Amino acid sequence: MLMLMFASAVYANSYEAPLPAELSTDPDLCAYVPCGDVIAGADSFSERKGKPTYVEAYRSKKGDHGKIDDHESNGDSQEGGNHHGDKNDDRELIGYVFLSTDIVDIPAYSGKPVVTLIGMDTKGIITGAKVLRHSEPILLLGIPEGELTKFIKQYVGKFVGDKIEIGKPREGQSYIGLDAITGATVTVVAQNQVMMRCGVQIARQVGILKPTIRPQAKFTELAKSPTWDDLVTEGGVQRLLVKREDVGLEATGTPYLDLWFGYLNQPTLGRAILGKSNYESLMTRLKPDEHAIFIIRTGGGESFKGSGFVRGGIYDRIQVAQEMDTFTFRDLDYLNLYGIEAAGAPAFNESAIFIIRSKSFSAAYPWKLVFLANKMDKSTGHRTFTSFDAESWLPDAYLQGGRPVVIVPEPTWLRIWKDKAWGIVAFTALLLLIGTVYAKRDWLVRRCTRKNKYWVDGFKYFGWIASIGFVGFAMMAQPSITQVLTWFHALLFHWEWELFLTDPFIFIFWWFIIITVFIWGRGLFCGWLCPFGSLSELLYKMGGWVGLKRFQFLLPERIHHQLKWLKYAIFYGLLAVSFFSMGLAEKLAEVEPFKTTFLVGIFNRAWPYTLFVAILLGLSIFTERPFCKYLCPLGAALAIPTTFRWFGLKRKPACTTCSACAKGCGSLAINPKGEIDQRECMLCLDCMVMYYDEHACPPLSQERKRRERAGLPLTPVGADGHYIPIMPLPAEEKR
Amino acid sequence: MSSSDLDPYRLPPYADSAHAWLLHEAVDHLWPWSQRGFRHHKWVLAIGLVLALAVSMVWVLAGLGRMTAGAVIGWWAGWSVFEIVIRMYSKPYIKEGPWWQRHYRPASIMDMLCYVSFKNLLVGAALFVGLKTLGLLQM
Repeated sequence: MLMLMFASAVYANSYEAPLPAELSTDPDLCAYVPCGDVIAGADSFSERKGKPTYVEAYRSKKGDHGKIDDHESNGDSQEGGNHHGDKNDDRELIGYVFLSTDIVDIPAYSGKPVVTLIGMDTKGIITGAKVLRHSEPILLLGIPEGELTKFIKQYVGKFVGDKIEIGKPREGQSYIGLDAITGATVTVVAQNQVMMRCGVQIARQVGILKPTIRPQAKFTELAKSPTWDDLVTEGGVQRLLVKREDVGLEATGTPYLDLWFGYLNQPTLGRAILGKSNYESLMTRLKPDEHAIFIIRTGGGESFKGSGFVRGGIYDRIQVAQEMDTFTFRDLDYLNLYGIEAAGAPAFNESAIFIIRSKSFSAAYPWKLVFLANKMDKSTGHRTFTSFDAESWLPDAYLQGGRPVVIVPEPTWLRIWKDKAWGIVAFTALLLLIGTVYAKRDWLVRRCTRKNKYWVDGFKYFGWIASIGFVGFAMMAQPSITQVLTWFHALLFHWEWELFLTDPFIFIFWWFIIITVFIWGRGLFCGWLCPFGSLSELLYKMGGWVGLKRFQFLLPERIHHQLKWLKYAIFYGLLAVSFFSMGLAEKLAEVEPFKTTFLVGIFNRAWPYTLFVAILLGLSIFTERPFCKYLCPLGAALAIPTTFRWFGLKRKPACTTCSACAKGCGSLAINPKGEIDQRECMLCLDCMVMYYDEHACPPLSQERKRRERAGLPLTPVGADGHYIPIMPLPAEEKR
Repeated sequence: MSSSDLDPYRLPPYADSAHAWLLHEAVDHLWPWSQRGFRHHKWVLAIGLVLALAVSMVWVLAGLGRMTAGAVIGWWAGWSVFEIVIRMYSKPYIKEGPWWQRHYRPASIMDMLCYVSFKNLLVGAALFVGLKTLGLLQM
């Protein structure tokens, strides 16, 4: 509750900010959002226009700075249609304003998009950007929202056609580097895609960016007449299926829309679909650089043509995309399609032939049919823009020389992995080293005694220092319960592997954690590699070294065994809250001091967080790992599968009556019966050192003394923690 | 208490063939009741049976597209709590060591809570994601 109070005190402005339901549909965008904030000097704005939509920003020429509502027809501004110098002489067009969710559907770390209002002048320079709503947990409390505002301001003054990347610009390449938000890489990578794609799409549409001219396809004419099944198998015809639940409607077993589509200019394909005479007739109607595609609807009750073309002459539900170019259709681009000639073609209840009139389009390269829809948010009833697409690319056999080589741009996550390659190698090496060292624990502990644990401590201290300095502060790869909650959220809303791959250290760390928890339990991560856990225990050790040992204490067993449940209650509480409100769960997850310590910095946060961390770390000097033992929800989450770890620590039968190990267990994980609670164990290996120490382990020490008194040889200690007995072999075997 | 102190009658039966092993493993994980438990705590286990039927119906309704995700999660969480009670009465043990081996130990409440919550998380996630993929569950 305390954390919730802190949370409320510094509540972020645009986190899950309610937006008007009409925002994504009302023609007058600027009646709902402050368009003037993203384009200075504008005093009036048009209604939404174009596809995807944008509004034009005007400045009065005659000193009339009052808002003028422009209710021009919601017509299309096709590519190449520049609006400089509009028909209204008393004002000049100074730029464009657009809403990111009208244009792209890119989820950020939370699985939901960052709704951003962007302004651009008539030369394609970004004039401003404003985050209207986001659901990013890290920006809720961990990192001040001002960091996102600061990040977005970096785009102001940049040309939308520039290649902008997060991080340092690459040498020898014309990329502009932007400073990332430390600890929110995934969010800024997604936001960069949003800013750039939105800018380019609108700039292309209004004619600021020149269209890409692609070499036109040269077709191979095949003698065969393919059936529908042949066309589907070869990829000449593609399917675009939209389910009802994809657009927020109740599933009824029937699709929202089931479309089949293909390219018609290719003679073999065109004749198979239209029949010879219809194909010839269509080709005579087409001018050079014009292309025909067909679409049929075989399922679903939703029209792909919509009704927009009736009002504004534009088909507002369908478009074709080729890389960053989009091609929309007007009523003049439409032809009737009455039937499909290819044998085995399915029955359809809506059909069309659309003409793409552009030099930019080339059938030699892959292209996509895009269906634009409004998705309903069930919790709010709001509708948001979303798009569905399916790719088509003429098969090799239909193109002279086959398909051209297409250089697919490197995915962002891959670039990040390449940029951080050395860090990733070092981090992976650290994990492998610690994993291998622990796997060889038997070898290590046999070389130690209770008073001399250099072999184990050497690696453990190395692991702690590396995890604090390298993993925690340098790589900021502190795992957190918020990541578990975010995965859950992403699983329910929008799972994207790419988003998780954009943080390579966290991605690798989690795989390591998952694997090792099932093999050895949570102790390897919590006890050896958790940055905060390591910091906490190192402080405890340092406290002992500087003379504070006499003040150091362990809680009485009775209190410890009651308090240890607290972390499980916190974990289950967070999980339960997350079912109802992820935002609230994220706020409550501030019980973890990780963000304050490693991501944001102790002195960069509000004082309650700093005080909380200071108390925890201060306590750590006097008692071992108080946060890990009693509060850590991540530790509790990992303790649950630890119940089923494959390999536990060794015990000998005498351990049930001897409690020597329990006395030295800093984790208080050994009960009076000598049983180790694997969920609480940090795998410090102190008890394992003792297990083999013939001077420290009471049962083994007694055995040693008995043997010495009896004059028996002291054989090596076996895996069972006792001297290996010398068994005389029968006489025949000896021979 | 060590694994050797376990009541052998409470251990699940195992057969030698892989098929039988798999079948018995599945039964042990998916069927929390035992005859011994019924003999001593028949009311609790009978209520559990009714609740299990109800939660199975919830999943069937979800499979038919007539149940929201929130309702399924709620029912599943509720059932999981009751399964802990049922298992503590009828199968109060958990596996010790690798899952492919056959070593068991008596379960504490925390052991059982961890076992049931983790097992049901996996079962629930598999069903949930499966139904969502098939488009039968509303989000």
